Amino acid sequence: MGPSDAYLWIAILAITLSALLTRAGLLLWGTGLRFRPVVQSALRYAPACALAAILVPDLVFVDQQLWLAPSNPKLLAGLASCLIFAFFRSMIGSLIGGMAVYWVVGYLFAG
Amino acid sequence: MSSRSSISKHTRSILPDPIQREAYWRGARELLPAAPGVFAWGLVTGVAMVKSGLSIEYALIMTFLAYAGSAQLAALPLLVTVAPLWVVALTAIAVNLRFVVYSAAMLPHLRHLPPSARVGLGYLIGDIGFAKFSALLEREPNYPHRVAYFAGGASCNWVLWQASSVIGILAATTIPVEWGLALAGTLVLIPLLVPFCRDRPALAGVCVASVVAIMGHGWPLRLGLVAGIVAGMLTALSLERLLQRQSAA
Repeated sequence: MGPSDAYLWIAILAITLSALLTRAGLLLWGTGLRFRPVVQSALRYAPACALAAILVPDLVFVDQQLWLAPSNPKLLAGLASCLIFAFFRSMIGSLIGGMAVYWVVGYLFAG
Repeated sequence: MSSRSSISKHTRSILPDPIQREAYWRGARELLPAAPGVFAWGLVTGVAMVKSGLSIEYALIMTFLAYAGSAQLAALPLLVTVAPLWVVALTAIAVNLRFVVYSAAMLPHLRHLPPSARVGLGYLIGDIGFAKFSALLEREPNYPHRVAYFAGGASCNWVLWQASSVIGILAATTIPVEWGLALAGTLVLIPLLVPFCRDRPALAGVCVASVVAIMGHGWPLRLGLVAGIVAGMLTALSLERLLQRQSAA
């Protein structure tokens, strides 16, 4: 038996409130907090570390298997994107270049 | 652009100051290069929601209310199997834990705002909007209209995400996800990451965050992601302190 309408509504509201709690809870109730300088320094590295922790596993895992070899098309696409952005500073260019590498390498290796 | 002028009329009532409004549009404009990636990721999420067995109506309700891609995807298998509600809520919180870090970083800039604005801006926090906001603060630490800038970028991200999710939900059976659309959503993060790799502590943090996130990839509730972020931040901080002490000595 599948989920009832009432269950789905309440579950979706629970997800909404949970997501809101993580994003806005501190902003709503934490305005009295004053972070120590050491915490502020650490928080400056949050965007770099978060982006890396999201993106690198996405490139090295293919179908839940770690694939750390130059034949991994996703890894090559990421490296290409990185190089293109480093040299040309073009976000669109790095995306198109990365996808092109992914498709070409995937095509070549799939035979 | 006629649609923009009608939206402009709307922003005029929320942001009466033309300089604030300019900053809002600047934020939106500077997020646009990431649009293809946001759009691809939204499409993939929309398709995944319907393919996992959620009806179109509930998929639409969920995307508009929750606005939390990874939490939605993590909760889907639980919803379909009628898991206890506290498990659903706990999963959504765990998967979104990185947003606690983001909101802590944003707190000093939003402290002075009324509660409704703080909650509204908090709802709009996402990976890309936060990255653009942080990059702005690196370049122009004293930019006075940074809140309006964030609001512009983050609401632009919201519109792109919702539009692509709706398309993904409605056209779930015809969108070829096997072309690597999800990869486009990943690749777009690379140009966002590069500008932050400006010194040795940041680079060390990025390396450790990546390795820990890879090691923790199989952990439940995407906890490896949070572990990676925290480990990376601690590494960067330690190296920063070490280098400071060396140069002082």
